[in-house]
Amino acid sequence: MPELVAEPMRKELDKAKRMQGDMLLSYFDALSKSGVTGTKIGYSFVMANPIELLATFDILPLFPEITSLNISYRGGAPPLIAQAEEVGYSTDACGYVKMGVASIMDKTKTSIGYIPKPDILFLSYSGCQIYIHWWEQYHYQTGAPIFTIDVPYLRDYDRHVPKHDIEYVAGQLEEMIPKLEAATGKRFNEDKLKEIVRLSGKAWDLWKECVEMGKLKPTPFDAYFESIYYMAPITFARGSQKCVDFYKFLLDELKLRAERGIGPTEREDYRLVFEGVPNYPFFKKFWGLFSHYNARCVASTYPKVAGLVDTGSFRLNPEKPIESIAEYMIHAYCNWNMPVRTHLIERYVKDYRADAVVIHSIKSCRSFSMGQGDIREYLAKELDVPTLLVESDHVDPRYYSEAQMKNRIDAFFETLALRKNRSQIN
Amino acid sequence: MTKYFAGVDAGSTYTKACLLDENSKLVTTTSDMTGVNIVAATKKVYQAALSKAGVREDEVSYIVGTGYGRYKITFGNTQVTEISCHARGAHYLFPNTRTVLDMGGQDTKAIRVNARGEVVDFCMNDKCAAGTGRFIEGSARALNLGLSEVGEISLKSTKPVKISATCAVFAEMETQEQLAYGNKLEDILYGVHSSIASRSIGLLRRVGIEPELTFTGGVSLNPGMVRCLQEQLGIKLNTSPLTMFCGAIGAAEFALEKTLAVAI
Repeated sequence: MPELVAEPMRKELDKAKRMQGDMLLSYFDALSKSGVTGTKIGYSFVMANPIELLATFDILPLFPEITSLNISYRGGAPPLIAQAEEVGYSTDACGYVKMGVASIMDKTKTSIGYIPKPDILFLSYSGCQIYIHWWEQYHYQTGAPIFTIDVPYLRDYDRHVPKHDIEYVAGQLEEMIPKLEAATGKRFNEDKLKEIVRLSGKAWDLWKECVEMGKLKPTPFDAYFESIYYMAPITFARGSQKCVDFYKFLLDELKLRAERGIGPTEREDYRLVFEGVPNYPFFKKFWGLFSHYNARCVASTYPKVAGLVDTGSFRLNPEKPIESIAEYMIHAYCNWNMPVRTHLIERYVKDYRADAVVIHSIKSCRSFSMGQGDIREYLAKELDVPTLLVESDHVDPRYYSEAQMKNRIDAFFETLALRKNRSQIN
Repeated sequence: MTKYFAGVDAGSTYTKACLLDENSKLVTTTSDMTGVNIVAATKKVYQAALSKAGVREDEVSYIVGTGYGRYKITFGNTQVTEISCHARGAHYLFPNTRTVLDMGGQDTKAIRVNARGEVVDFCMNDKCAAGTGRFIEGSARALNLGLSEVGEISLKSTKPVKISATCAVFAEMETQEQLAYGNKLEDILYGVHSSIASRSIGLLRRVGIEPELTFTGGVSLNPGMVRCLQEQLGIKLNTSPLTMFCGAIGAAEFALEKTLAVAI
């Protein structure tokens, strides 16, 4: 068991989060100045986006999911949700959609500043059924054109994507190139795309090494709560040298933590696998409910929504840039069928030597949360893996009750403590 | 000097307390409405238990607090969740218990336990209080009846009314609507109990129903709910006048053993 660590040492080995924060701030700054700089803003989704192709045309991507979660993290969700509900959105509608739509209404200033309107709307239609309607709404609000890429769902996925599916998506990306030329007034530069894809591939490789550090016992980082910070650059800065530098820095930091036996909690009493989107308005409190028990997450699914980096399902290839982007896009987490998602969690439990699984289900996102009851049943009943399912929302604080959440989590750790004591006696 | 061990369960509606002696024998139980001042309620109920049993404060070696207000039990030594406590309490009263259904004022829990009364798995209703004791409370209020009467009255039903809603907020409206249709009181109340029972059974199935099933919490004293659950499940439930004290009994058991208290 690692010895107690002095606070200054922790801070010294916790610089990557600050670096990520700085990168995010300068990204938000670039977004807010786009009107002055004349940079084209391309709205895009976190899952299955062709960001490398957009970067080739110097389009700055804006991910409403990322802006909304950051607004929510900084306590700014309620006024935006209320604004959207005032114009007729249901309380049950996705919180991201409501916040995204409200954040570009006239004179709206969010907790992260003004959100620029889109010049182009990139609709990568994968997994989430709401995407298409959300982007249509933006189109009605702003008149920006929608460029749609239909991504086939992996219904009968057995770890092999049919070639015709990759060709289908790659064909749509190729068709989009002349439209991008017309929209930006810039000629397509294949060498530039190849270089961006090469840098993107490098970042993915480094990120993969980082997430797999969770296999160490004790893990040097929390593969869920800390990864929520670490996962951002792979989405908004992918394809840049800055992004590669960030993951290099992170990997070195995690290796150093491992060498010194330092982690995010005093000790590692429990190893958890985490499934689901976090609760952003109460993120640190929510984390505290687990870290209080010296529990560390060793693997999780959500930080890989930008790409299932540790499954060997895709690999960016600068020699085949369009095809490899297409292959990446098909492998979005919510584009996977439920049995494959379930077995990924099962594999994490085994490979990362986890004690238990925690599932956080969110009210307003059914594409992520559907089937989580079945995942719980399978893990608990078929595999005898202690599994807790708790529910709130990713952005809407109205769905969170701390007393109820704490009660369930406390009871879960009481059960895990008994189980642990028994296994030590036996 | 005999040593005693106390469990205090600060629930959303009632606060319960009990004392066990060093042989794990139940000495006494007390309860009262929780009200708005949880700290005062827990002190009052605990003091009542002491005086009822004729036990001095210094004779109590260890106190475990449980229930939603467990952190307000300032005189307690430690806290354990009511999930673990109800499991232990149910096992204390009925040692062959393998499944527990705890129905309280604002939540319902289905708990699977092992032969030692330890929690193996559990499921609870989400933030929404639909399908909990609160729905019965709302219906009772709409009908101007006491909470202790509604179960008995529902047993007289001959032509049950089907009520599909379980939302605690709309309980009064739903009940009044049924009255407006000209339905009889007992038939409406049967429908109320039946709809809550079917929702709880959904929770039970999620953890898996293994006999014996013990019904705990305040609502376990309601004969109408016991009947509906037994009819729908097709098995007999364990209940007793003491099942509403299962949380406090389990807490006192933990106080006695201190095993979990040390572990956490």
